[in-house]
Amino acid sequence: MTATRQTSGLGFVGQRVMRVEDERLLIGDGHFVADGDPTAVLHAAFLRSPFAHADVVSIDVSAARALDGVVRVFTAAELNARTNLFPPFLMTNGLYAPLFGCLSERRVRHVGDPVALVVATSRAIAEDALELIDVDYEELDAVGSIKAALLGNAPKVWERAKGNVLGDFTDEFGDVAAAFDAADHTIEATLTCPRQTNQPMETRGIVVTVDPDDGHLDVRSTTQAPHFLKWALAALLIDKPTLRSVGDFVRNKERRSAFGAAAKEFVAANRHRLTEQDPRGLLSQVRADRSTLPLMNRIGAGLLAAADYPTVRAGDIGGGFGSKGPVSREEIAIGAAASIMGQSIQWIEDRVENLLDGGQAREEQFRVRVAVDSDGTLRALDVDAIIDQGAYPGFPIPPSVTAKFWKVYMPGPYDFGAFRLRARTVATNKGKVVPYRGPWANETWMRERVIDIVAAELELDPGDVRAKNVLRPESMPPAMITGPTLDETMSAAKTLDHALAMIDRDELVQQKSTAEARGHRLGVGIACYHEAAPGPANFWSSIEPGSDLLLYEDGRAELAADGTIRMYTSQSPHGQSHQTTYKQVAADEFGVSMDDVEIVWGNTDRTQFTLLGTGGSRGGPLGAGVMRVTARNVRDKVAEVAADMLEANVSDIEIVAGNIHVAGVPAKGMTYRDVAAKLAADDGITSGPVLTDQVRYEGVGNGGWSVATHVAWVDIDLETGEVTIPRYVVVEDCGPIINPGVVDGQVRGGVAQGIGAVFYEKHHYDEHATLMTTTYMDYLIPTAMEIPEIEVVHLETLTDGENDARGVGEGGMIGAPAALTNAVSDALGVQVTEQHLPPYRLLELAGIIGPD
Amino acid sequence: MNDLTIPLTMQVNGTDHSIDVEPRRHLADVLREDLALTGTHLGCEHGVCGACTVLIDGEPARACLMLAVQAEGSEIVTIEGLADADGTMHPVQAAMHQAMSFQCAFCTPGFLMSTIALLRDNPSPTTEEIREELSGNLCRCTGYQSIVDGVETAVELMGSDR
Repeated sequence: MTATRQTSGLGFVGQRVMRVEDERLLIGDGHFVADGDPTAVLHAAFLRSPFAHADVVSIDVSAARALDGVVRVFTAAELNARTNLFPPFLMTNGLYAPLFGCLSERRVRHVGDPVALVVATSRAIAEDALELIDVDYEELDAVGSIKAALLGNAPKVWERAKGNVLGDFTDEFGDVAAAFDAADHTIEATLTCPRQTNQPMETRGIVVTVDPDDGHLDVRSTTQAPHFLKWALAALLIDKPTLRSVGDFVRNKERRSAFGAAAKEFVAANRHRLTEQDPRGLLSQVRADRSTLPLMNRIGAGLLAAADYPTVRAGDIGGGFGSKGPVSREEIAIGAAASIMGQSIQWIEDRVENLLDGGQAREEQFRVRVAVDSDGTLRALDVDAIIDQGAYPGFPIPPSVTAKFWKVYMPGPYDFGAFRLRARTVATNKGKVVPYRGPWANETWMRERVIDIVAAELELDPGDVRAKNVLRPESMPPAMITGPTLDETMSAAKTLDHALAMIDRDELVQQKSTAEARGHRLGVGIACYHEAAPGPANFWSSIEPGSDLLLYEDGRAELAADGTIRMYTSQSPHGQSHQTTYKQVAADEFGVSMDDVEIVWGNTDRTQFTLLGTGGSRGGPLGAGVMRVTARNVRDKVAEVAADMLEANVSDIEIVAGNIHVAGVPAKGMTYRDVAAKLAADDGITSGPVLTDQVRYEGVGNGGWSVATHVAWVDIDLETGEVTIPRYVVVEDCGPIINPGVVDGQVRGGVAQGIGAVFYEKHHYDEHATLMTTTYMDYLIPTAMEIPEIEVVHLETLTDGENDARGVGEGGMIGAPAALTNAVSDALGVQVTEQHLPPYRLLELAGIIGPD
Repeated sequence: MNDLTIPLTMQVNGTDHSIDVEPRRHLADVLREDLALTGTHLGCEHGVCGACTVLIDGEPARACLMLAVQAEGSEIVTIEGLADADGTMHPVQAAMHQAMSFQCAFCTPGFLMSTIALLRDNPSPTTEEIREELSGNLCRCTGYQSIVDGVETAVELMGSDR
């Protein structure tokens, strides 16, 4: 049984095909955002707040303006007057979404908050000018932690919010109280995870080029979501009053009819999602901040009337891990500045800026109660969680959305009869929180850690407790208690069984005693999870009814007049090897070599709108899926034309290695170029597409779950607290694999970030909310010395569905923190309750040194 | 401060360059901006990530930590100088390609230059030696295993050349 139709005779899909990206990148011929001609643009630098929380009393930019080489200096007041505030996105009833501008005018809310923008002939001069700007701040008490945010007399980060708790939601599935009453034991724990940061090796950057004739903005950016950046720039740069926009729109017949048609199509395609939208989110936001509605009206009307939207292009991107998905305040500021000045501007973030506000994540805590029977049967899970969102919410995905994923994911692949989650989102005076590789991942860390705590209390084996409670194919309920449909063909249980069999318990006893004899401690830890990648059809409605609006993936295949095959994707790859894997998929469908296929990505003028771009492990299941479907459709049209030309039945047409022929008669074949030439001649054209197929793809395969179990062995030196990882195993099932080399890389890279999070990386703010980790000497990214070899076992369930590759980009980081902290707990014989375990903490836990 | 420049003569990838540079500019900026050799990347600009590593008179150095004027009279090799004129990859590049060593490849220039220096000094390093020698370069995508594989593949390729 195979999920792919391999017509090329070469069968690229499933092979470890070397990356086509490397042909350029390995010889230094990349096209990253900072690689353009520096003399063709002006250069920008932001003045940032040194205080976590302060009022801006005055700002004097006169000396900066006078500096030779400075072209313009924008204060926040000037730039905000020409841009719109960031509107709320994904509004939820009871959630307060603060509105904020691209620069901070009267108050700064975290260290690094931008207050002014200098545009100069070089970055160095722009930075010189920053030193000449005189800002008078009046420092305020700052909120540096979740604990401080919740104090009754805590300073408020957002004046219009009721307090620092911006959202407080509880969801319950099953009868939690009854389950606790009935269970033999209630076991409690409080778990905390400190702040992390994504830290791609390339910082953020944007180059906005202005067309001197019509003012059109052409934007080069490190964005994971070019279409959303285009939309956001268009929306936030509107500086026309609402009524004028409405008037312009009404008078513009062409715009009106185009909008009418688009709206009709949109409504038809999304009827059920639109009716599922909960209007109470908007109502509660408007109640909290009345300026929300006029803002949204102004943006809405402005977008309708806008004659021209920016073009956004993403070239090579040096990693993102979620941090380059959101649209940042800096990007809007640069777009606005370029537009106002009519001059092209480049901003390349430096590393200190990136650490300050390039995207932070996962500072969360959990108070957990588990109802469990003496034999280890898990009855119920009751969690009280808090998310530290920092000051400004990421745009468009506010950190509070994590809680919606938790509410669905948290019971994991286990048979909890009841589950309750209370999740609060609190504001603090810290940098913004963005999605970071498996943004919900702490639900797995919390649950898997708690399962080990339960096992320890009941004196059971943690592997046995998992094996007892994991949802098994033979007894799998049709859906998770929280909603999404389950899939018995690809179960986490299968990975768990396989992983447990790889742990040699006798050998482990031996290893532990050998370690002890050397003054070390050795332990093993397990983590098991499933992730919706992209999930079953009802996954998004379980998150929030109607939330799958705009989450489809459009794609297009095209045969050009000259015979070139072009595939257009709305993905914005930044290291995931899309060009290679999409060529594999398309070449197989077309029956040609990979060199015969061109992949077009990253240019909003050439690709279809999508809200997300690359993120959420969608590139395999949805992105490659739509490549396959459209490629096949065009291939079938070609076969029809060829059948006519060869005077044969279309069902007899075969295409092998680019040779289109009647089966059995390869000598009398033709090529795609021949077919294209015929069609071009028929149409009387010499360029452009002769065949096109465009599809709106929502394929979710057979359930869309990706599953894995991680097992980590850790060895701790009790003298130094140094950790080594003698063995690390990932047993994963992401369905049919397009390219095992790419999958291995995704899994290992994710695990490496998990190892970093547990043993090396902590984004540390002091009690005044001042960031201490502002360089790579302080924020420690693990090197080749710290990351071990990682064994990856692919179970690769071959379903009979098509396009059934599952996402695999995030899983490594979802599983690793749990497996590692469980291994440390096993090694030291204590129950770890924090995710970050640097050497001093390990020595404290081991009782070697006293606590601080 | 723009007016003050210092003449700089250096050889980069076999080509002699004589340019005037501001003394405060670091070598990586001059390579990237003045010579358009953008294959050398800037990841942190404080000497930790190693993406800007180039060979200066054969020795790997952080081009972000060195003033351009300090390169006076030096022979410099960057990632652009590795492949043959006909585009044939250097064995280390070919090996990294085979091993699927990189993902986003922003760190790649640094790893390539460090690897070339390593294999010149130690043509058959152990895995442990490879990991230690490359520990001055950060990669955020791969978990390093594929890069270590690439170095080991390079050892094989270069060994068979000899």
